[in-house]
Amino acid sequence: MREIMQEKVDVVTIYDRTAGRIAPYRLRWHGKTFDITKVGLHYTYWRGRDLHHIFTVTDGTTFFKLDHDTSNLQWMLTEVHDGLAD
Amino acid sequence: MDLPINANEPLVMHIDLNSCFATVEQQANPLLRGKPIAVAAYASPAGCVLAPSIEAKRYGVRVGMNVRTARLLYPQLVVLEPDPNKYRFIHLMMRKVLRNYTDRITPKSIDEVVIDFADSRMLNKRPLTDIGAEIKQRFRREIGEWISASIGLGPNRFLAKVAAGLQKPDGLEVIDHANLLATYERLRLLDLPGINVRYEARLNAAAIHTPLDFYRAPLRLLHRQVFRSVNGYYWYLRLRGWEIDAIDFKRRSYGQSYALPQATADPKQLSQLLMKLCEKAGRRMRKADYVAQSVWLSCLYRDRTHWARGRQTHRQLATTYELFIAAQRLLNQQPAIKAVTHLAVSFADLMPTSPYQPELFETEDTRRRRAGAAVDQINNRYGEFIITPALMLGMESRILDRISFGGSVKELQEIYD
Repeated sequence: MREIMQEKVDVVTIYDRTAGRIAPYRLRWHGKTFDITKVGLHYTYWRGRDLHHIFTVTDGTTFFKLDHDTSNLQWMLTEVHDGLAD
Repeated sequence: MDLPINANEPLVMHIDLNSCFATVEQQANPLLRGKPIAVAAYASPAGCVLAPSIEAKRYGVRVGMNVRTARLLYPQLVVLEPDPNKYRFIHLMMRKVLRNYTDRITPKSIDEVVIDFADSRMLNKRPLTDIGAEIKQRFRREIGEWISASIGLGPNRFLAKVAAGLQKPDGLEVIDHANLLATYERLRLLDLPGINVRYEARLNAAAIHTPLDFYRAPLRLLHRQVFRSVNGYYWYLRLRGWEIDAIDFKRRSYGQSYALPQATADPKQLSQLLMKLCEKAGRRMRKADYVAQSVWLSCLYRDRTHWARGRQTHRQLATTYELFIAAQRLLNQQPAIKAVTHLAVSFADLMPTSPYQPELFETEDTRRRRAGAAVDQINNRYGEFIITPALMLGMESRILDRISFGGSVKELQEIYD
Protein backbone atom coordinates (compact mmCIF):
# COMPACT_ATOMS: atom_id res chain seq x y z
CA MET A 1 0.00 0.00 0.00
CA ARG A 2 1.43 3.32 -1.07
CA GLU A 3 0.48 6.64 0.49
CA ILE A 4 1.46 10.03 -0.88
CA MET A 5 1.54 12.88 1.63
CA GLN A 6 3.19 16.12 2.59
CA GLU A 7 3.83 16.00 6.34
CA LYS A 8 6.54 17.57 8.47
CA VAL A 9 8.53 14.95 10.38
CA ASP A 10 11.25 14.82 13.01
CA VAL A 11 14.49 13.51 11.48
CA VAL A 12 17.84 12.72 13.09
CA THR A 13 20.72 12.73 10.60
CA ILE A 14 24.31 11.57 10.71
CA TYR A 15 27.18 13.23 8.89
CA ASP A 16 30.01 10.94 7.78
CA ARG A 17 33.06 13.17 7.41
CA THR A 18 35.10 10.45 5.65
CA ALA A 19 32.54 9.85 2.92
CA GLY A 20 31.41 13.49 3.04
CA ARG A 21 27.81 12.31 3.23
CA ILE A 22 24.80 13.07 5.34
CA ALA A 23 22.00 10.55 5.80
CA PRO A 24 18.85 10.25 7.89
CA TYR A 25 19.36 7.94 10.86
CA ARG A 26 16.02 8.02 12.65
CA LEU A 27 12.60 9.58 12.05
CA ARG A 28 9.52 10.12 14.13
CA TRP A 29 6.12 10.07 12.48
CA HIS A 30 2.67 9.82 14.06
CA GLY A 31 4.28 9.34 17.49
CA LYS A 32 6.32 6.32 16.37
CA THR A 33 10.08 6.19 16.00
CA PHE A 34 11.63 4.41 13.02
CA ASP A 35 15.32 3.50 12.94
CA ILE A 36 16.57 3.72 9.39
CA THR A 37 18.50 0.67 8.32
CA LYS A 38 19.08 1.52 4.67
CA VAL A 39 19.17 4.53 2.36
CA GLY A 40 17.97 3.39 -1.07
CA LEU A 41 18.71 6.53 -3.03
CA HIS A 42 19.77 10.08 -2.34
CA TYR A 43 19.08 12.51 -5.15
CA THR A 44 18.38 16.16 -5.69
CA TYR A 45 16.03 18.30 -7.72
CA TRP A 46 15.37 22.00 -8.10
CA ARG A 47 12.03 23.61 -7.45
CA GLY A 48 12.60 27.04 -8.93
CA ARG A 49 15.82 28.19 -7.26
CA ASP A 50 15.35 25.96 -4.19
CA LEU A 51 17.43 22.80 -3.99
CA HIS A 52 15.69 19.77 -2.51
CA HIS A 53 17.47 16.64 -1.28
CA ILE A 54 15.43 13.46 -1.43
CA PHE A 55 16.33 10.48 0.72
CA THR A 56 14.47 7.25 0.11
CA VAL A 57 14.92 5.10 3.20
CA THR A 58 13.58 2.05 5.01
CA ASP A 59 13.56 0.64 8.51
CA GLY A 60 13.30 -2.84 7.04
CA THR A 61 9.51 -3.02 6.97
CA THR A 62 8.34 0.40 5.79
CA PHE A 63 9.64 2.64 3.01
CA PHE A 64 9.80 6.41 3.53
CA LYS A 65 10.55 9.20 1.10
CA LEU A 66 11.96 12.26 2.82
CA ASP A 67 12.23 15.65 1.15
CA HIS A 68 14.69 18.14 2.65
CA ASP A 69 14.17 21.70 1.40
CA THR A 70 17.53 23.49 1.65
CA SER A 71 15.89 26.92 1.46
CA ASN A 72 14.13 26.52 4.83
CA LEU A 73 15.79 23.35 6.20
CA GLN A 74 12.42 21.61 6.58
CA TRP A 75 12.02 17.84 6.41
CA MET A 76 8.84 16.56 4.82
CA LEU A 77 7.62 12.98 4.56
CA THR A 78 6.19 12.68 1.07
CA GLU A 79 5.62 8.95 0.62
CA VAL A 80 5.17 5.82 2.70
CA HIS A 81 5.00 2.31 1.23
CA ASP A 82 4.86 -1.17 2.74
CA GLY A 83 6.32 -2.78 -0.38
CA LEU A 84 3.06 -4.57 -1.23
CA ALA A 85 0.58 -4.10 -4.05
CA ASP A 86 -2.38 -1.73 -3.47
CA MET B 1 31.30 -6.44 -55.82
CA ASP B 2 29.77 -6.79 -52.38
CA LEU B 3 30.91 -4.46 -49.62
CA PRO B 4 32.89 -6.46 -47.02
CA ILE B 5 32.12 -6.55 -43.31
CA ASN B 6 33.83 -3.76 -41.41
CA ALA B 7 36.90 -5.47 -39.90
CA ASN B 8 37.89 -2.55 -37.66
CA GLU B 9 38.18 -3.01 -33.92
CA PRO B 10 34.76 -2.69 -32.22
CA LEU B 11 35.19 0.71 -30.59
CA VAL B 12 31.58 1.77 -30.14
CA MET B 13 30.04 0.95 -26.78
CA HIS B 14 26.29 0.92 -26.20
CA ILE B 15 25.14 1.06 -22.58
CA ASP B 16 21.55 0.29 -21.67
CA LEU B 17 20.28 0.42 -18.09
CA ASN B 18 18.18 -2.69 -17.58
CA SER B 19 14.43 -2.04 -17.08
CA CYS B 20 15.54 1.46 -16.15
CA PHE B 21 12.52 3.07 -14.47
CA ALA B 22 11.61 -0.11 -12.58
CA THR B 23 15.20 -0.81 -11.54
CA VAL B 24 15.60 2.75 -10.28
CA GLU B 25 12.40 2.39 -8.23
CA GLN B 26 13.80 -0.84 -6.76
CA GLN B 27 17.06 0.95 -6.00
CA ALA B 28 15.12 3.70 -4.23
CA ASN B 29 12.86 1.33 -2.32
CA PRO B 30 14.75 -1.73 -1.05
CA LEU B 31 11.42 -3.37 -0.10
CA LEU B 32 10.62 -3.73 -3.81
CA ARG B 33 13.84 -5.48 -4.78
CA GLY B 34 13.39 -8.94 -6.23
CA LYS B 35 9.64 -8.36 -6.61
CA PRO B 36 7.60 -8.02 -9.80
CA ILE B 37 6.88 -4.30 -10.12
CA ALA B 38 5.97 -2.03 -13.01
CA VAL B 39 6.17 1.68 -13.65
CA ALA B 40 3.04 2.75 -15.53
CA ALA B 41 1.88 6.08 -16.93
CA TYR B 42 -1.04 5.82 -14.47
CA ALA B 43 -1.63 3.24 -11.76
CA SER B 44 -5.29 2.96 -12.88
CA PRO B 45 -6.35 -0.21 -14.79
CA ALA B 46 -6.16 1.54 -18.18
CA GLY B 47 -2.67 2.96 -17.45
CA CYS B 48 0.04 1.90 -19.86
CA VAL B 49 3.02 -0.06 -18.50
CA LEU B 50 6.21 1.88 -19.27
CA ALA B 51 8.75 -0.35 -17.56
CA PRO B 52 8.25 -3.76 -15.96
CA SER B 53 10.98 -4.96 -13.61
CA ILE B 54 13.11 -7.93 -14.61
CA GLU B 55 11.03 -10.07 -12.20
CA ALA B 56 7.74 -8.84 -13.73
CA LYS B 57 8.98 -9.67 -17.23
CA ARG B 58 9.32 -13.31 -16.11
CA TYR B 59 5.52 -13.31 -15.58
CA GLY B 60 4.96 -11.95 -19.07
CA VAL B 61 4.43 -8.30 -18.15
CA ARG B 62 5.53 -6.22 -21.14
CA VAL B 63 5.97 -2.56 -22.08
CA GLY B 64 2.79 -1.13 -23.65
CA MET B 65 0.45 -3.51 -21.83
CA ASN B 66 -2.24 -1.93 -19.66
CA VAL B 67 -2.17 -2.29 -15.88
CA ARG B 68 -5.35 -4.41 -15.91
CA THR B 69 -3.73 -7.04 -18.16
CA ALA B 70 -0.46 -6.89 -16.23
CA ARG B 71 -2.37 -7.60 -12.99
CA LEU B 72 -4.11 -10.55 -14.61
CA LEU B 73 -0.67 -12.00 -15.26
CA TYR B 74 0.55 -11.26 -11.74
CA PRO B 75 -2.14 -10.07 -9.28
CA GLN B 76 0.37 -8.90 -6.62
CA LEU B 77 2.16 -6.64 -9.10
CA VAL B 78 3.26 -3.38 -7.46
CA VAL B 79 2.43 -0.55 -9.86
CA LEU B 80 4.11 2.83 -9.47
CA GLU B 81 3.69 6.07 -11.37
CA PRO B 82 6.87 7.59 -12.88
CA ASP B 83 9.11 9.86 -10.82
CA PRO B 84 11.12 11.72 -13.49
CA ASN B 85 13.38 13.50 -10.97
CA LYS B 86 14.82 10.12 -9.95
CA TYR B 87 15.42 9.03 -13.53
CA ARG B 88 17.03 12.34 -14.51
CA PHE B 89 19.34 12.09 -11.52
CA ILE B 90 20.35 8.52 -12.40
CA HIS B 91 21.01 9.59 -15.99
CA LEU B 92 23.28 12.41 -14.79
CA MET B 93 25.10 10.03 -12.44
CA MET B 94 25.59 7.57 -15.29
CA ARG B 95 26.99 10.37 -17.43
CA LYS B 96 29.30 11.48 -14.61
CA VAL B 97 30.80 7.97 -14.37
CA LEU B 98 31.22 7.69 -18.14
CA ARG B 99 32.95 11.06 -18.47
CA ASN B 100 35.91 9.52 -16.64
CA TYR B 101 36.62 7.51 -19.77
CA THR B 102 35.95 9.90 -22.67
CA ASP B 103 33.91 12.96 -23.60
CA ARG B 104 32.60 11.24 -26.75
CA ILE B 105 29.33 10.31 -25.04
CA THR B 106 26.06 10.49 -26.93
CA PRO B 107 22.86 10.01 -24.93
CA LYS B 108 20.28 8.08 -26.94
CA SER B 109 17.55 8.28 -24.32
CA ILE B 110 17.26 8.60 -20.55
CA ASP B 111 18.60 5.03 -20.11
CA GLU B 112 20.80 4.53 -23.17
CA VAL B 113 24.18 6.00 -23.97
CA VAL B 114 26.63 5.46 -26.82
CA ILE B 115 30.37 5.98 -26.35
CA ASP B 116 32.78 6.22 -29.24
CA PHE B 117 36.28 5.21 -28.13
CA ALA B 118 37.87 5.82 -31.54
CA ASP B 119 39.60 9.06 -30.50
CA SER B 120 40.69 7.94 -27.05
CA ARG B 121 42.32 4.64 -28.12
CA MET B 122 45.77 6.23 -28.27
CA LEU B 123 45.49 7.27 -24.63
CA ASN B 124 43.77 4.22 -23.29
CA LYS B 125 44.93 0.84 -24.53
CA ARG B 126 42.95 -1.25 -22.03
CA PRO B 127 40.64 -3.79 -23.62
CA LEU B 128 37.18 -2.27 -23.93
CA THR B 129 35.63 -5.37 -22.38
CA ASP B 130 37.61 -4.56 -19.20
CA ILE B 131 36.36 -0.98 -19.32
CA GLY B 132 32.81 -2.27 -19.85
CA ALA B 133 33.06 -4.56 -16.83
CA GLU B 134 34.50 -1.71 -14.76
CA ILE B 135 31.67 0.64 -15.81
CA LYS B 136 29.12 -1.92 -14.63
CA GLN B 137 30.90 -2.20 -11.28
CA ARG B 138 31.12 1.54 -10.90
CA PHE B 139 27.40 1.96 -11.65
CA ARG B 140 26.72 -0.44 -8.76
CA ARG B 141 29.18 1.26 -6.45
CA GLU B 142 28.56 4.91 -7.31
CA ILE B 143 24.90 4.99 -8.37
CA GLY B 144 23.34 2.09 -6.51
CA GLU B 145 23.89 -1.60 -5.89
CA TRP B 146 20.65 -2.55 -7.71
CA ILE B 147 21.53 -0.67 -10.91
CA SER B 148 22.58 -2.99 -13.69
CA ALA B 149 23.40 -2.31 -17.31
CA SER B 150 23.76 -4.33 -20.48
CA ILE B 151 26.77 -3.27 -22.50
CA GLY B 152 27.48 -4.02 -26.13
CA LEU B 153 30.57 -3.36 -28.23
CA GLY B 154 30.55 -3.17 -32.00
CA PRO B 155 32.25 -1.48 -34.95
CA ASN B 156 29.21 0.80 -35.40
CA ARG B 157 26.33 2.08 -33.26
CA PHE B 158 23.87 -0.39 -34.71
CA LEU B 159 25.94 -3.50 -33.90
CA ALA B 160 26.86 -2.12 -30.48
CA LYS B 161 23.13 -1.83 -29.72
CA VAL B 162 22.47 -5.32 -31.07
CA ALA B 163 25.29 -6.60 -28.83
CA ALA B 164 23.81 -4.83 -25.79
CA GLY B 165 20.54 -6.64 -26.42
CA LEU B 166 22.06 -10.11 -26.71
CA GLN B 167 22.20 -10.81 -23.01
CA LYS B 168 19.77 -9.07 -20.68
CA PRO B 169 20.04 -8.24 -17.88
CA ASP B 170 23.60 -7.39 -17.03
CA GLY B 171 25.28 -8.58 -20.23
CA LEU B 172 28.58 -7.58 -21.81
CA GLU B 173 28.83 -8.75 -25.41
CA VAL B 174 31.00 -7.94 -28.40
CA ILE B 175 30.11 -8.17 -32.08
CA ASP B 176 32.94 -7.89 -34.57
CA HIS B 177 33.71 -9.10 -38.08
CA ALA B 178 34.59 -12.57 -36.75
CA ASN B 179 31.27 -13.36 -35.05
CA LEU B 180 28.85 -11.10 -36.95
CA LEU B 181 27.30 -13.79 -39.13
CA ALA B 182 27.09 -16.27 -36.26
CA THR B 183 25.28 -13.58 -34.25
CA TYR B 184 22.81 -12.87 -37.06
CA GLU B 185 22.14 -16.60 -37.27
CA ARG B 186 20.62 -16.70 -33.78
CA LEU B 187 18.48 -13.56 -34.07
CA ARG B 188 15.06 -12.77 -35.52
CA LEU B 189 14.41 -9.77 -37.74
CA LEU B 190 12.48 -8.10 -34.91
CA ASP B 191 15.54 -8.36 -32.66
CA LEU B 192 17.30 -5.82 -34.89
CA PRO B 193 16.91 -2.25 -33.59
CA GLY B 194 14.88 -0.24 -36.09
CA ILE B 195 13.01 -3.20 -37.55
CA ASN B 196 9.37 -3.15 -36.49
CA VAL B 197 6.51 -5.38 -37.63
CA ARG B 198 5.83 -3.18 -40.66
CA TYR B 199 9.43 -3.36 -41.88
CA GLU B 200 9.44 -7.08 -41.09
CA ALA B 201 6.44 -7.56 -43.39
CA ARG B 202 8.14 -5.59 -46.17
CA LEU B 203 11.28 -7.68 -45.81
CA ASN B 204 9.22 -10.89 -45.77
CA ALA B 205 7.56 -9.80 -49.01
CA ALA B 206 11.04 -9.77 -50.57
CA ALA B 207 11.73 -13.29 -49.22
CA ILE B 208 13.90 -11.95 -46.40
CA HIS B 209 12.95 -13.84 -43.23
CA THR B 210 16.06 -13.76 -41.04
CA PRO B 211 18.84 -11.27 -40.25
CA LEU B 212 21.15 -13.48 -42.27
CA ASP B 213 18.83 -13.21 -45.32
CA PHE B 214 18.76 -9.46 -44.68
CA TYR B 215 22.56 -9.32 -44.62
CA ARG B 216 22.83 -11.37 -47.81
CA ALA B 217 20.21 -9.34 -49.69
CA PRO B 218 21.76 -7.43 -52.62
CA LEU B 219 21.96 -3.67 -52.33
CA ARG B 220 19.75 -3.25 -55.39
CA LEU B 221 16.96 -5.32 -53.80
CA LEU B 222 17.06 -3.34 -50.54
CA HIS B 223 17.31 0.00 -52.30
CA ARG B 224 14.81 -0.48 -55.14
CA GLN B 225 12.33 -3.01 -53.81
CA VAL B 226 12.26 -3.23 -50.03
CA PHE B 227 12.83 0.31 -48.77
CA ARG B 228 12.47 2.14 -52.10
CA SER B 229 14.69 4.88 -50.76
CA VAL B 230 18.21 5.64 -49.59
CA ASN B 231 17.28 3.74 -46.41
CA GLY B 232 17.99 0.52 -48.30
CA TYR B 233 21.59 1.67 -48.79
CA TYR B 234 21.85 2.69 -45.14
CA TRP B 235 20.69 -0.77 -44.01
CA TYR B 236 23.18 -2.38 -46.39
CA LEU B 237 26.02 -0.46 -44.67
CA ARG B 238 24.64 -0.80 -41.14
CA LEU B 239 24.33 -4.58 -41.34
CA ARG B 240 28.00 -4.81 -42.37
CA GLY B 241 29.20 -2.74 -39.44
CA TRP B 242 29.79 0.54 -41.27
CA GLU B 243 28.75 3.67 -39.40
CA ILE B 244 25.71 5.47 -40.70
CA ASP B 245 23.97 6.56 -37.51
CA ALA B 246 26.51 8.95 -35.94
CA ILE B 247 24.47 11.99 -36.82
CA ASP B 248 23.25 14.66 -34.44
CA PHE B 249 19.90 16.04 -35.46
CA LYS B 250 19.12 19.68 -34.78
CA ARG B 251 16.04 20.48 -32.78
CA ARG B 252 13.21 21.44 -35.11
CA SER B 253 10.29 21.76 -32.75
CA TYR B 254 9.08 21.87 -29.16
CA GLY B 255 6.14 19.67 -28.37
CA GLN B 256 4.15 18.27 -25.53
CA SER B 257 1.57 15.52 -25.43
CA TYR B 258 -0.84 14.03 -22.93
CA ALA B 259 -2.59 10.67 -22.74
CA LEU B 260 -5.86 11.39 -20.95
CA PRO B 261 -6.67 8.94 -18.14
CA GLN B 262 -10.34 9.41 -19.13
CA ALA B 263 -11.37 10.31 -22.66
CA THR B 264 -13.30 13.56 -22.97
CA ALA B 265 -15.01 15.61 -25.67
CA ASP B 266 -15.71 18.50 -23.28
CA PRO B 267 -14.33 21.61 -25.04
CA LYS B 268 -13.58 23.35 -21.73
CA GLN B 269 -11.51 20.45 -20.42
CA LEU B 270 -9.70 20.10 -23.72
CA SER B 271 -8.92 23.83 -23.74
CA GLN B 272 -7.53 23.58 -20.22
CA LEU B 273 -5.33 20.66 -21.17
CA LEU B 274 -4.22 22.42 -24.31
CA MET B 275 -3.30 25.52 -22.30
CA LYS B 276 -1.16 23.44 -19.96
CA LEU B 277 0.55 21.71 -22.88
CA CYS B 278 1.25 25.12 -24.46
CA GLU B 279 2.60 26.44 -21.17
CA LYS B 280 4.97 23.47 -20.77
CA ALA B 281 6.18 23.46 -24.37
CA GLY B 282 6.39 27.27 -24.37
CA ARG B 283 8.47 27.36 -21.19
CA ARG B 284 11.01 24.96 -22.73
CA MET B 285 11.04 26.83 -26.03
CA ARG B 286 11.50 30.26 -24.42
CA LYS B 287 14.20 28.91 -22.11
CA ALA B 288 16.16 27.86 -25.19
CA ASP B 289 15.56 31.34 -26.71
CA TYR B 290 13.34 30.37 -29.61
CA VAL B 291 10.09 31.60 -31.07
CA ALA B 292 7.91 29.44 -33.32
CA GLN B 293 6.22 30.21 -36.61
CA SER B 294 4.01 27.19 -36.99
CA VAL B 295 1.83 25.03 -34.82
CA TRP B 296 0.71 21.39 -35.09
CA LEU B 297 -2.08 19.72 -33.20
CA SER B 298 -2.98 16.07 -33.08
CA CYS B 299 -5.92 14.27 -31.46
CA LEU B 300 -6.37 10.55 -30.98
CA TYR B 301 -10.00 9.64 -30.34
CA ARG B 302 -11.61 6.89 -28.31
CA ASP B 303 -12.83 5.24 -31.52
CA ARG B 304 -9.12 4.91 -32.47
CA THR B 305 -9.36 7.46 -35.28
CA HIS B 306 -6.79 10.20 -35.54
CA TRP B 307 -6.93 13.80 -36.66
CA ALA B 308 -4.06 16.25 -37.04
CA ARG B 309 -3.78 19.74 -38.39
CA GLY B 310 -0.88 22.17 -38.78
CA ARG B 311 -0.68 25.82 -39.65
CA GLN B 312 2.00 28.36 -40.36
CA THR B 313 1.46 31.66 -38.65
CA HIS B 314 2.15 35.15 -39.96
CA ARG B 315 3.58 36.22 -36.66
CA GLN B 316 6.12 34.79 -34.28
CA LEU B 317 4.71 32.83 -31.37
CA ALA B 318 6.48 33.20 -28.06
CA THR B 319 4.19 33.67 -25.07
CA THR B 320 1.95 30.92 -23.75
CA TYR B 321 -1.03 33.06 -24.73
CA GLU B 322 0.15 33.33 -28.36
CA LEU B 323 0.92 29.61 -28.55
CA PHE B 324 -2.41 28.72 -26.99
CA ILE B 325 -4.49 30.92 -29.30
CA ALA B 326 -2.78 29.40 -32.36
CA ALA B 327 -3.31 25.84 -31.04
CA GLN B 328 -6.90 26.50 -29.93
CA ARG B 329 -7.75 27.70 -33.44
CA LEU B 330 -6.65 24.33 -34.74
CA LEU B 331 -8.56 22.47 -32.02
CA ASN B 332 -11.70 24.35 -33.05
CA GLN B 333 -11.34 22.95 -36.56
CA GLN B 334 -11.91 19.34 -35.50
CA PRO B 335 -14.27 17.86 -38.08
CA ALA B 336 -16.27 15.98 -35.44
CA ILE B 337 -16.71 16.33 -31.69
CA LYS B 338 -15.48 13.02 -30.34
CA ALA B 339 -13.93 11.86 -27.07
CA VAL B 340 -10.20 12.54 -27.14
CA THR B 341 -7.79 10.05 -25.54
CA HIS B 342 -4.49 11.64 -26.56
CA LEU B 343 -3.75 15.29 -27.24
CA ALA B 344 -0.45 16.56 -28.64
CA VAL B 345 0.77 19.97 -29.70
CA SER B 346 4.06 21.05 -31.19
CA PHE B 347 5.57 24.32 -32.29
CA ALA B 348 7.96 24.36 -35.23
CA ASP B 349 9.72 26.65 -37.72
CA LEU B 350 11.87 27.83 -34.86
CA MET B 351 13.71 31.13 -34.97
CA PRO B 352 16.19 32.41 -32.41
CA THR B 353 14.62 35.02 -30.12
CA SER B 354 17.60 37.31 -30.43
CA PRO B 355 18.46 39.61 -32.03
CA TYR B 356 15.24 41.17 -30.91
CA GLN B 357 13.89 44.06 -32.95
CA PRO B 358 12.29 46.48 -30.49
CA GLU B 359 9.16 48.27 -31.60
CA LEU B 360 9.06 52.03 -31.82
CA PHE B 361 5.65 52.21 -30.18
CA GLU B 362 4.57 49.83 -27.47
CA THR B 363 1.83 47.52 -28.65
CA GLU B 364 -0.38 44.97 -26.95
CA ASP B 365 2.06 42.27 -28.12
CA THR B 366 5.02 43.98 -26.49
CA ARG B 367 3.17 44.34 -23.21
CA ARG B 368 2.06 40.71 -23.34
CA ARG B 369 5.59 39.48 -24.02
CA ARG B 370 6.95 41.55 -21.14
CA ALA B 371 4.30 40.11 -18.84
CA GLY B 372 5.10 36.61 -20.13
CA ALA B 373 8.81 37.11 -19.46
CA ALA B 374 8.01 38.29 -15.92
CA VAL B 375 5.83 35.21 -15.29
CA ASP B 376 8.64 32.98 -16.57
CA GLN B 377 11.07 34.64 -14.18
CA ILE B 378 8.72 34.08 -11.23
CA ASN B 379 8.28 30.43 -12.20
CA ASN B 380 12.05 30.06 -12.59
CA ARG B 381 12.49 31.37 -9.08
CA TYR B 382 9.67 29.58 -7.26
CA GLY B 383 8.99 26.52 -9.43
CA GLU B 384 6.76 25.47 -12.30
CA PHE B 385 3.12 26.65 -12.35
CA ILE B 386 3.47 29.09 -9.44
CA ILE B 387 1.76 31.59 -11.76
CA THR B 388 -0.48 30.08 -14.39
CA PRO B 389 -3.10 31.32 -16.84
CA ALA B 390 -6.56 31.47 -15.24
CA LEU B 391 -7.79 28.77 -17.62
CA MET B 392 -5.49 26.30 -15.85
CA LEU B 393 -6.96 26.92 -12.39
CA GLY B 394 -7.77 23.73 -10.53
CA MET B 395 -5.70 21.45 -12.73
CA GLU B 396 -2.33 21.65 -11.00
CA SER B 397 -1.78 17.91 -10.96
CA ARG B 398 -3.02 17.26 -14.50
CA ILE B 399 -0.36 16.66 -17.16
CA LEU B 400 2.34 15.46 -14.88
CA ASP B 401 6.05 15.76 -15.35
CA ARG B 402 7.03 12.90 -17.64
CA ILE B 403 10.03 11.58 -19.51
CA SER B 404 9.33 10.58 -23.05
CA PHE B 405 10.55 7.37 -24.61
CA GLY B 406 12.76 7.22 -27.69
CA GLY B 407 13.62 10.38 -29.57
CA SER B 408 14.06 12.20 -26.28
CA VAL B 409 17.71 13.00 -26.85
CA LYS B 410 17.01 16.69 -27.29
CA GLU B 411 15.11 16.78 -24.02
CA LEU B 412 18.19 15.33 -22.32
CA GLN B 413 20.09 18.41 -23.41
CA GLU B 414 17.62 20.37 -21.28
CA ILE B 415 18.57 18.20 -18.28
CA TYR B 416 22.23 19.08 -18.73
CA ASP B 417 21.56 22.82 -19.06
